[in-house]
Amino acid sequence: MATISRGVLLNLAVLALLSTLALADSDSDRAAELFALQSRSKSGVIHLDDHSVSRFLTSTTTPRSYSLLVFFDAAQLHDKSELHLQDLRKEFSLLASSFIANNAENPSSRSKLFFCDLEFKESQSTFGQFGVNSLPHIRLVGPEVKSLKDSEQMDQGDISRMAESMSAFIESRTRLHVGPITRPPLLSKMQIMIIFTLILIWVPFAAKKVLAGETLLHDKKVWLISAVFVYFFSVAGTMHNIIRKMPMFLVDRNDPSKLVFFYQGSGMQLGAEGFAVGFLYTIVGLLLAFMTHLLVRVRNVNVQRLIMGSALLVCFWAVKKVVQLDNWKTGYGIHGFWPSS
Amino acid sequence: MAASEASTATSFRHAFGGVLSFFILILIGVLAFSIRLFSVIKYESVIHEFDPYFNYRVTQFLTKNGIYDFWNWFDDRTWYPLGRVIGGTVYPGLTLTAGTLWWILNSLNIPLSVETVCVFTAPIFSAFASWATYLLTKEVKGAGAGLTAAVLLAMVPSYISRSVAGSYDNEAVAIFALIFTFFLYIKTLNTGSLFYATLNALSYFYMVCSWGGYTFIINLIPMHALLCIVTGRYSSRLYIAYAPLVVLGTLLAALVPVVGFNAVMTSEHFASFLVFIIIHVVALVYYIKGILSPKMFKVAVTLVLSAGLIVCFAVVAILVALVASSPTKGWSGRSLSLLDPTYASKYIPIIASVSEHQPPTWPSYFMDINVLAFLVPAGIIACFLPLSDASSFVVLYIVTSVYFSGVMVRLMLVLAPAACIMSGIALSEAFDTLTRSIKFQLPGNSGGNSEANAGDASSASAGALNDVIKADKAEETAKERPSRKSKKKEREPVEKPQRNPRNERKLLVLPFEASIVGIILLVMLGAFYVVHCVWAAAEAYSAPSIVLTSHSHDGLHVFDDFREAYAWLSHNTEVDDKVASWWDYGYQTTAMANRTVIVDNNTWNNTHIATVGTAMSSPEKAAWEIFNSLDVKYVLVVFGGLVGYPSDDINKFLWMVRIGGGVFPHIKEPDYLRDGQYRIDSQATSTMLNCLMYKLSYYRFVETDGKAFDRVRRTEIGKKNFKLTHFEEVFTTHHWMVRIYKLKPPKNRLRGKAKKSKSKTSSASSSKRSGKRTRNPWQ
Repeated sequence: MATISRGVLLNLAVLALLSTLALADSDSDRAAELFALQSRSKSGVIHLDDHSVSRFLTSTTTPRSYSLLVFFDAAQLHDKSELHLQDLRKEFSLLASSFIANNAENPSSRSKLFFCDLEFKESQSTFGQFGVNSLPHIRLVGPEVKSLKDSEQMDQGDISRMAESMSAFIESRTRLHVGPITRPPLLSKMQIMIIFTLILIWVPFAAKKVLAGETLLHDKKVWLISAVFVYFFSVAGTMHNIIRKMPMFLVDRNDPSKLVFFYQGSGMQLGAEGFAVGFLYTIVGLLLAFMTHLLVRVRNVNVQRLIMGSALLVCFWAVKKVVQLDNWKTGYGIHGFWPSS
Repeated sequence: MAASEASTATSFRHAFGGVLSFFILILIGVLAFSIRLFSVIKYESVIHEFDPYFNYRVTQFLTKNGIYDFWNWFDDRTWYPLGRVIGGTVYPGLTLTAGTLWWILNSLNIPLSVETVCVFTAPIFSAFASWATYLLTKEVKGAGAGLTAAVLLAMVPSYISRSVAGSYDNEAVAIFALIFTFFLYIKTLNTGSLFYATLNALSYFYMVCSWGGYTFIINLIPMHALLCIVTGRYSSRLYIAYAPLVVLGTLLAALVPVVGFNAVMTSEHFASFLVFIIIHVVALVYYIKGILSPKMFKVAVTLVLSAGLIVCFAVVAILVALVASSPTKGWSGRSLSLLDPTYASKYIPIIASVSEHQPPTWPSYFMDINVLAFLVPAGIIACFLPLSDASSFVVLYIVTSVYFSGVMVRLMLVLAPAACIMSGIALSEAFDTLTRSIKFQLPGNSGGNSEANAGDASSASAGALNDVIKADKAEETAKERPSRKSKKKEREPVEKPQRNPRNERKLLVLPFEASIVGIILLVMLGAFYVVHCVWAAAEAYSAPSIVLTSHSHDGLHVFDDFREAYAWLSHNTEVDDKVASWWDYGYQTTAMANRTVIVDNNTWNNTHIATVGTAMSSPEKAAWEIFNSLDVKYVLVVFGGLVGYPSDDINKFLWMVRIGGGVFPHIKEPDYLRDGQYRIDSQATSTMLNCLMYKLSYYRFVETDGKAFDRVRRTEIGKKNFKLTHFEEVFTTHHWMVRIYKLKPPKNRLRGKAKKSKSKTSSASSSKRSGKRTRNPWQ
């Protein structure tokens, strides 16, 4: 009896010892595992799912030795351009890789913070646990956090700006040093070298051609077409569309089957709208030039008459259309000035 | 030119045409001047808006103290207590121009005030600008196109918006300088005369003096020179037009204090130096080509080319290294945002936030250049038939400026002259063709006769153009006989149009009836343009914004509160009193009230602006301390709630909070917002309701209608009855648009404090106050 009880006691003691060991062990184990996962991914962002979240976060005891910065992603929303999910994801992985690179010599701080992402379809329950119902969303799960809902959310303002503001967020919350964000150069060194050598090879040939006067640049038509094109491009307000990232058209809010091509209100325009009016702007001048310079050389009077009539009609219609559209868009109708008082 | 033509009949016609053009030009000048007078007629002869008041004040100083004092002027009336070096930080062109005008008028015993001269500088220079446009377009496509372009420019809305009477700003003279510089460049290019080249450099100097936009010239002209070289149009005329401009122009530009060494140090100017090197290399090549036989030349070409390329690469490498060594790559933010339009929106919010720097949408083009937008493509095509050095320049001008205007709506101003030139060319060519068609197909004319006439007429109608080309050709053959062979290619396009009328004796006309319809439509288009321009000048652009008007059912209301307030300040306060207000009103206060301000529209010191912003967003006591530490005696706020004037200080208030909070972090924007919304009604936060701006704006407001209903925010205000503890109201204008408060003198704190720590506090406070007493003797 006594032996048994002693044996049980011993067993219990061993178990307790083992379990504490296991606990301590598992925390560093988890960190090591995260390390391994991190090194496996190219950008240093660990992809989590429901299972791994419970392994690394919910089933652990606090304090953990690491914090996780979680990016909430949803593949189904990638095509919604106004959320910028993919851009933000790119910024996030930039942040991760810069953090890892800048702390390469400092493994202790490197194992303090891991960058993870979650995909909505795969880990819906985790999204629920975090209480995330809108995207883009980034959360920092600190070492002390017990319930996932208590983890700290990054401000929309911090998210919407670049990796720099995200890193400022991390530095202020975790006291870890992220360091400068290293963005990949537009062209790699190899590409630059290749381009440079190509240019070097090409220059003598080009110089010879320029001297001989037989490049594309000597063709007046190319210049003419490009000049008119630049004009069309600018008058259409394309720059506005590029800078403001305007879509070509909108879907009508009230009736999703209808598309809106023209936007009322002078501060904004849609892509298709710009091109349409730019075309109207340009066509009149082109027709006028056609009449004054080309049509005069046509010998048949009736052909002249026919073409000129239709050209004038088109011009008239185009001008009228632009005036109308402008009136509709800005509310300004042309009217004379007459002193009223 | 005309006199050298043969027969007396044509010379008589040319003389008549010359006189007629002269009178038309005078009329165009009158038109350009008078269309800009709407603001004077509808309002009165005042300076407009904000920046012009600063220019006006500088001009006053110049006329009073002379040029040397102006050059060394340190202004202690603004940015108190820092002051500002005016002489070295302004473009002096406008001020010197108006000052000289005033001086000339006064020495002719025409006693005009400085203000009058300033008000009318812009319209006068618009007349000059339209004459310059005539000259430029005449060099490109002949007198007819020149006159059309001039009349279009005289009333193009985009230019009117910057040059109505009273809008006394740099652009007013700069556009004239821009066009005139381009004219002299083209003139030099057409004549190859060093005289014009020198004038060109001087005119460029005037442009540099006047406006920061001179970088457009110093990049456009090198681009054109490069274009000419690349397309095989190099000539000694190009060299004469380009090289002296770069050398003299850069030297002269460096004389302007505000430019200084920027003229050789910043990337905006590097293009001109690069092309300067290239043109010399090319000149050398052409020279060698001229003196060697073709065989020898082939040998030489390889030699020179390799050497030249090495030199070029070395220079490029040096330039690249220089550029790369500077942090912004040597470019200023504004130029960068032109090259890469998305740059500003990404990296420089302060540039992106200014409304002038927004990219325009298509209605802006219709508003600003109106029907010219339709005519420009025809002008571009006309410039390619035939392509000459001059016409390629205007094509380049329109293409670059239209692109830039697409990036920033403000640069529409640079586009406007180009659009006028192009449309002038297009209209003149179209009218030429159409009227010719009508003239030679009039029912009375018999067929055979008209055939014979047509040959003459078409050559005569293209006369103006041909004159230029002929003269060119004559000069060319005279001057450049040695290198004649090499010029063959270049002259080909020039000869073509001359051959055409002679070879094709066919009637180059359109059908009679269609031509009449065409002319009617074109005239209608022109009439539409005139109607629009007059409307724009009269209604859209002539409001001086210092005097406001509103039409209601019971007639016209005039709000002259701003001047009322400034006049009160100048009559009722000490000369050395300091007035604090938001920076928008700084220039006006110094110019009209002649009082010292803390911040003004030259926003060079962000911290100082943030201090004022912080004071405005703080509670009364804290604000009083800030203002008192700056020696401020009066605080001026603009309030539109009573009359519904939307651009008042309450609407600008969030910017004050933001700018203040940017430097002093205890001011936090969310404290002033209820659920992210800016409101001043009963839902507003207590921070908002207790801040100085709220109190100064709405003090006693409830006494006006009993309900305190704000007409701009369309709501009743949150806190209606309150007293001011540290400020007292001294003046409120007729419509309550400007309210002026005085800082109360500090309370006598001796009695309360004496009980506790007697010795310390009393000595400290008395010393503090005695210190104050020396500074503020009125207390």
